[in-house]
Amino acid sequence: MEKVLLKNLGREGAHTVDSYLSGGGYEALRKALGMEPEDIIQMVKDSGLRGRGGAGFPTGLKWSFIPKDAPEKYLCCNADEGEPGTFKDRGIMEYDPHLLLEGMAIASYAIGAHKAYIYIRGEFLFAARRLQEAILEAYEKGFLGENILGTGFSLDIYVHRGFGAYICGEETALLESIEGYRGQPRKKPPFPALSGLYGKPTVINNVETLACLPAIVNRGAEWFASIGPEKSPGPKIFGVSGHVERPGLYELPMGTPLREIVYEHAGGIREGRRLKAVIPGGVSAPLLTESELHTPMDFDSLAKIGSMLGSGGVIVMDETTCMVKTAYIIMRFFSHESCGKCTPCREGTTWLKKIVERIEHGRGVPGDVELLESLCDNIFGRTFCPLGDGAVMALRGVLKNFREEFQYHIEHKRCMV
Amino acid sequence: MTTGLVTLKINGREVTVREGTLILDAAKEAGFDIPTFCYQANLSGLGSCRMCLVEIEGQRKLQPSCITPVMPDMNVFTETDTVKMTRSAMLEFLLSNHPLDCPVCDKGGECELQDLVYKHGPRKGRFAEDKVRHHDKDYILSPVIVKNANRCVQCMRCVRVCKEVVGRGVLGAVGRGVHQEETSFLRTRLDCDHCGMCIEVCPVGSFMRLPYRYRARPWDLVSARSVCGYCATGCRLTLERRGDTVVRAIANPEDGFNRKLLCARGRFGYDVMNSEERIKTPLVKERDGSFRPVSWDRALELMKEAILRAGPERAAGVASATLTNEELYLFQKFMRKVVGTANMDSTSRWSAESSLKFMEAAGIRGGGTSVYQCAESDVVVVLGGQLSEENPVTDYILRYINGARRNTLVIASPRGMKLDSSAQLSVRTVPATTGAFIAALLKALVEKKEVSMEGMEAVKGLTVEELSGVCGVNADDIRWIAARLLTAGSVGVLAGTDMLRYDDGAEELALLVRLLENTVRDVRVLPLLDRANQRGAWDMGVHPYLEPGYRPAQRRGHDVHGIVELADSGGLGFLYLLGEDVLGLYPDRAGVERALSRVGFLVVQDSFMTGSAPMANLVLPMAMYGEKHGTMTNQEGRVQRMEAVRRPEGEVRTPLETIGRAGNLIEKDFPVVRPGDVWKEIQKQVPGYGEVRGMEAFKGASADQVAELKPSFSYAVPERAEGEFWLLTGNHLFHGARLSQHSGILRELLGGCVVEIGSTAAQRLGVGEGDMVEVEARGYRERLPVRIREGTPDGVAFMPENFDGKDANRFFDKDRVVSTVRIRPYKKQGE
Ligand SMILES: Cc1cc2nc3c(=O)[nH]c(=O)nc-3n(C[C@H](O)[C@H](O)[C@H](O)COP(=O)(O)O)c2cc1C
Ligand code: SF4
Ligand code: SF4
Ligand code: SF4
Ligand code: SF4
Ligand code: FES
Repeated sequence: MEKVLLKNLGREGAHTVDSYLSGGGYEALRKALGMEPEDIIQMVKDSGLRGRGGAGFPTGLKWSFIPKDAPEKYLCCNADEGEPGTFKDRGIMEYDPHLLLEGMAIASYAIGAHKAYIYIRGEFLFAARRLQEAILEAYEKGFLGENILGTGFSLDIYVHRGFGAYICGEETALLESIEGYRGQPRKKPPFPALSGLYGKPTVINNVETLACLPAIVNRGAEWFASIGPEKSPGPKIFGVSGHVERPGLYELPMGTPLREIVYEHAGGIREGRRLKAVIPGGVSAPLLTESELHTPMDFDSLAKIGSMLGSGGVIVMDETTCMVKTAYIIMRFFSHESCGKCTPCREGTTWLKKIVERIEHGRGVPGDVELLESLCDNIFGRTFCPLGDGAVMALRGVLKNFREEFQYHIEHKRCMV
Repeated sequence: MTTGLVTLKINGREVTVREGTLILDAAKEAGFDIPTFCYQANLSGLGSCRMCLVEIEGQRKLQPSCITPVMPDMNVFTETDTVKMTRSAMLEFLLSNHPLDCPVCDKGGECELQDLVYKHGPRKGRFAEDKVRHHDKDYILSPVIVKNANRCVQCMRCVRVCKEVVGRGVLGAVGRGVHQEETSFLRTRLDCDHCGMCIEVCPVGSFMRLPYRYRARPWDLVSARSVCGYCATGCRLTLERRGDTVVRAIANPEDGFNRKLLCARGRFGYDVMNSEERIKTPLVKERDGSFRPVSWDRALELMKEAILRAGPERAAGVASATLTNEELYLFQKFMRKVVGTANMDSTSRWSAESSLKFMEAAGIRGGGTSVYQCAESDVVVVLGGQLSEENPVTDYILRYINGARRNTLVIASPRGMKLDSSAQLSVRTVPATTGAFIAALLKALVEKKEVSMEGMEAVKGLTVEELSGVCGVNADDIRWIAARLLTAGSVGVLAGTDMLRYDDGAEELALLVRLLENTVRDVRVLPLLDRANQRGAWDMGVHPYLEPGYRPAQRRGHDVHGIVELADSGGLGFLYLLGEDVLGLYPDRAGVERALSRVGFLVVQDSFMTGSAPMANLVLPMAMYGEKHGTMTNQEGRVQRMEAVRRPEGEVRTPLETIGRAGNLIEKDFPVVRPGDVWKEIQKQVPGYGEVRGMEAFKGASADQVAELKPSFSYAVPERAEGEFWLLTGNHLFHGARLSQHSGILRELLGGCVVEIGSTAAQRLGVGEGDMVEVEARGYRERLPVRIREGTPDGVAFMPENFDGKDANRFFDKDRVVSTVRIRPYKKQGE
C-alpha cells in the first residue's frame, strides 16, 4: 500500500515546508478552502474516518455536533501520546509536521475555528520545536494567520506543551491543562463539542486523525473508505515494540491481521523465540495470546474478542517474559498516573499495584489473586473517566490468561519462566 | 430557568420533580437517602467520590446521582445489591489509606466517614499494605485552621467552598493520585477570610478548628441555637459549651437560612463569652475616680435616684442595636413610661432624620425581603458600603448565586471589595455621593425610556455627565447599568449603611424603586445593616420619633446628636448607655467626650469596660448573646429566636432583668418580666410581629409612611484638599462593633487598628502592606499599619471602627459631610 501518513518517515529534510510543497503539500487546504464547510464535514463522514486517539469515534460525526452559529470555537490536537507502547504521533510530528498542520487547517475551516492548539506531550521537545518551526514557515507562506490563501479564512495555531501526566491525554483533562488548571477530567455532559476550551465549542482530535485529512480531501472519501474494513476504514499506523526483530512504525491498512504485523512487518519474535502475549493497542488494551493472532487489527474486530485497538501500539512479549512482572509494570504505570480525582481509581489502582508488587517480590499470600479480582470488580465501571477502567482491563487480561503464573509466584516466591 | 415537571420512577416509586432536579434530590423526595461525600448543595457538581452511584435502567454503567439530572420516565434503582456493594467498595477504598486514628481525631463522633462506614461499609478490612502518609504531624494553616491531610477523602468541598462561596480561592490540590493533598500554596500560612468554611464543609478530620483542638467530643457538648451578634446578616448558629466554657459555634445545615455559612466573626467570635475581661459586678464610681463593687440593690437604687433627680426632660438613653427585640422593646417602654422621655436612640452614628428616610426608601417598615430572592434577581445592584466586610455571609450568598445563575451583578461603592470580582461592573463612587449616582441612573433611564411619573420632571433637567462629575462614575458605565435595569425582569437592590451615615441617597433610591416598579415590576430592596438587630431596634421603637411599629411618637425626643448636644450644654441629668459605646463610635470624639463628662449621672451597662464605661458614675454588668433568650430581626426582616447556652456568671444580669427591676423600683406597676412575656406584648403591640411563629419567620408589614422623600437634586463633591484622604469607617472583616475586640481568636486575626488605602495611593506614598504610616487630622495623630485594598481609589482611606485606644472617630468632624485626613509614611515594616 502506498504510504500516506508515514511517507516521509526517516527522510532527511522532509519536515521543511519546501519539501512538503514539492510533494504537493497544502494543495488539499487550497481545495478545502474552496469548499463549503458542511461539504467537508460530509466528506469526512463519508470517508468513514474514525478517531485514532483510542476510542474510534467517527470524526465527521464529532465535527457535526459543533453549533454552527457559535461565535468562538476551538480545535485541539491531541498530541499527548502518553499511552505506553504508543509512538505513532511522534513519527508524524517529527518527520511531517506540515501534514498535521494542513490537517488542522482543514479541520478548523470545517468547524469554523480560528484558534487551534496542539497539546503535545512534554517529553516531545524535539517534536515541539519542529512543529513550532513548521508553524512559523506556514505563517510565512500564508497557510496560517490572517486571510489564508486570500480566502478570508484566518487561523492561529499554538503549541502547548504538557508536563508529563498521562491523564492530560484524556480530552477534558487536556482542556483543563490548556486553561492552566490541574489536569483532571471534567464531567460530561456537557461534552466539549458544546462546552469545551474556555467553555466554547471544541473539537479534540488525535494527531493521526488530523493527518488523514489532506489525503481524504485530495483523493476523496471513496478512496479512503475503500481501504480496510467497511466499518473502520483507512490507513493506520501500528507502532510495534517489544521482543520483535524489527520494532518500529508500520503504516498498513486498517484490519491487517495481527499475525501479519508481528511476523511479516516486524520480522517475527527476536532470536526465534516463541510468542507469549501481545498487547494490541497500548497498555489499556487487554493482551492477546497466540491463538488470537489471526484477529484483524481494527476497532470492531478487537472489541469483539474483548480487547481494543486503542492507539495501535503493539507490544510483543516472548516466552521469557514474566507476566507477574508485566502486570506489575502496568499497574505501577496506572497507579502513578491516576489523577486522584475519583475514589476507585485513586485508591484502587494503588492497592492493585501494591498487591502485584508484593507477589512479584515474593511476598504474595494465598488469596491475593482473588483479592485482585474482587478489587477489579469494585473499580471497573465505577470510575470517573476511562483511565481506571483501562487499568482493570489490562490486569484482567493478564489474570485471565496467566493466572497460574501468579499462583506460582505466590507459592514459590519466584518467576515461573 | 426550567419550570417543567418530570415524572420518573425510583425503586419503583413514582415521583414528580422539577426539570433539572438531580437524581439524588429526587430520590430524597421519594424517601431514599443516597450517601455522598463530594456532593454539597450550592457547590458546583463534581461527581468524583462515587459514593452516590445508582443504577439506571438501560444504562450500562452506574451513574453518579449527584450530577445526573432526572429525565422523563427514568427508572432508577438506589437499593440494589450492585449499588450496595458499590457503596461498601468505595468506603473500603477510602479507608485503605485512611489512618483510622479516630481516638485522637477531633472529628470523631461527628465524622461523615465514620457514619457512612457504620451504615454502608464493609465489616472487615482487606487492606494489608503500607498506607500513604502525607506528613507525620498536623500542620497549622491559620490561627483558626489545623490540617491533617492523611484523613482526607479528596472530596474537594474545601477547595470549592473557598473559591465558589467565600471567593478567596486560596486552597487547591497539589500532587497526583494518592499523593493529592488539598492545602494552601506550598502548605504556607493562609492570608484569607479565616471564615472556617473549609473546616465546616470537611466531612472528616482533615480541616480542623485550631481553637477547638482536643477540647471536646460532640457528646460532651451542651448546645443551644442562637443568632450571630456581629452583623445584621443575622446568621443562625449553634453555640456549644463544655462545662461552663463555650468551645464552639457551628452553623447547622438543617437549621437557619444561612445553612452552613458563617464568617470568621460568627464562627470564631464566640470566645468573647469566656473572656476574663468581662465586667462581673455592678461598680460605682468613688470620689477619687476609682470604681468600687456594689450590690445590685444598691446600684438600682442609685439609678432610681438619678432618674428622679434628673426629671424627664433631662434624661436620655441609647441602647445598642445588637440587643434582642425583647430588650429593646422594654428599654423604650422604660424610657417612655417610667423615665418619661423620648430622648433615645439605637445608634451613635447617624441622625434620626437620616434613619427615617432610609427606613422609607429601603422598605424597612414593610415585610421581609429574602436575601435569596434579592440575589436571584436578573440584575442585582449593591449600593454603598463594603458588603464583603460589613456582611460577609451576604457576600458569600451573592457570590455563589451569581456563580450558578450568571445574573448581572453591579456594585457602586467608594471602596474596593472582594465581591468586585463577581460583578459584571463595579464602579467607585466618591464617598457620600450615592444620591448623585442614583440621580445619574434615573436620568440615564429616562433618556432611554419615556416615563411620566411624579417626581421625574426635575430629573429631566439634569445631565448624566454633570452627575457623573460629582459621583465620579463614568457616564458610559451609568448608561450601561441603566440599559441593564431596563431589560431586566427583576431587580434586587442592596442598600448599605453609607446612606445612613451620610444621610445620602434615600430620596433618590425611593424614586428609582418606584420607577423600576413601573418598568420592571419585580423590584426588591434589601437593607445592608451592620448591627445585628438594627431592624429590630427600629421595629421596637427605639427611636426619638417613632414608637413601636413605626407609629409616630406623640412627642418627639432627641436623637443621639440631640442627646450629645443636650449633655454638652449641661442639660442632661441622667444618661443610660445600654450596650452602646457612644464615646467610641460617635463621629466626633472630642465633642462627645466633653459632653459625657457633663452628664449628671451616667449609667453604662455593658459586657466589657468600653471607652464610655470609665466615664460612668455607675457601671452595670451585662449578659450577652448565648446567655439570654429572645428574638432578633435581621436585615431581611427575618425574626429569629435565640436560646441561652448557659446562664450568665455571678452577678452578670440580662438587660431585661435590669430594666424590669429598675422600672419596678420607680413605678410599682412596671413588671419584672421574662422574655416570653415581653414577646407576647410585642406580638400584640408591634404590627408585623403578630404572625411570627417558631424559630424563624419573616415579620409582616407595618402600616404608615414614616417620611416623605423628595430629592433636592442638588449635589456637591465633599471637600477634600489635594493629597488628603476621605476617611471612611465601619466594620472590619474580622470585627463587629466594639465587642469583637474582646475575642482572643478574632484578635489573633486582627489585633488592632489599621488604615486601609488603595494600591495607587500606596504607590504614591511609597508604602507597602504592613508599613507604618502617620494619620493626622484635627490636631490628632496616630501611627498605624497600612493595609492595601485592591480597587480602592486614591484619596479614600478606611479605618475600622472596632478598636478601643486607636479610635477612628478621633479624626471625625461631625460638621463635615466626609472628614478628611492626611497620611504620610512613617516607618517601613521591620525597621
Ligand atoms: C486516560 C486517557 C488517555 C488518553 N490519552 C490520549 C492520547 O495520548 N492521545 C490521544 O490522541 N487520545 C488520548 N485519549 C483519548 C482522548 O480522550 C480522545 O478520545 C481523543 O483525543 C479524541 O481524538 P480522536 O477522535 O481523533 O481519536 C486518552 C483517553 C484517556 C481516557
Ligand atoms: S479514573 Fe478517576 S482518578 Fe483515575 S484518572 Fe480518571 S478521574 Fe482520575
Ligand atoms: S478559612 Fe475560609 S477563606 Fe480561608 S481557606 Fe478556609 S474557606 Fe478559604
Ligand atoms: S480536606 Fe476535607 S473537605 Fe478538603 S478534600 Fe479533604 S476531606 Fe474533602
Ligand atoms: S458577622 Fe454577620 S455574616 Fe458573619 S456570621 Fe455573623 S451574622 Fe453572619
Ligand atoms: S457524591 Fe456523587 S460522586 Fe461524590
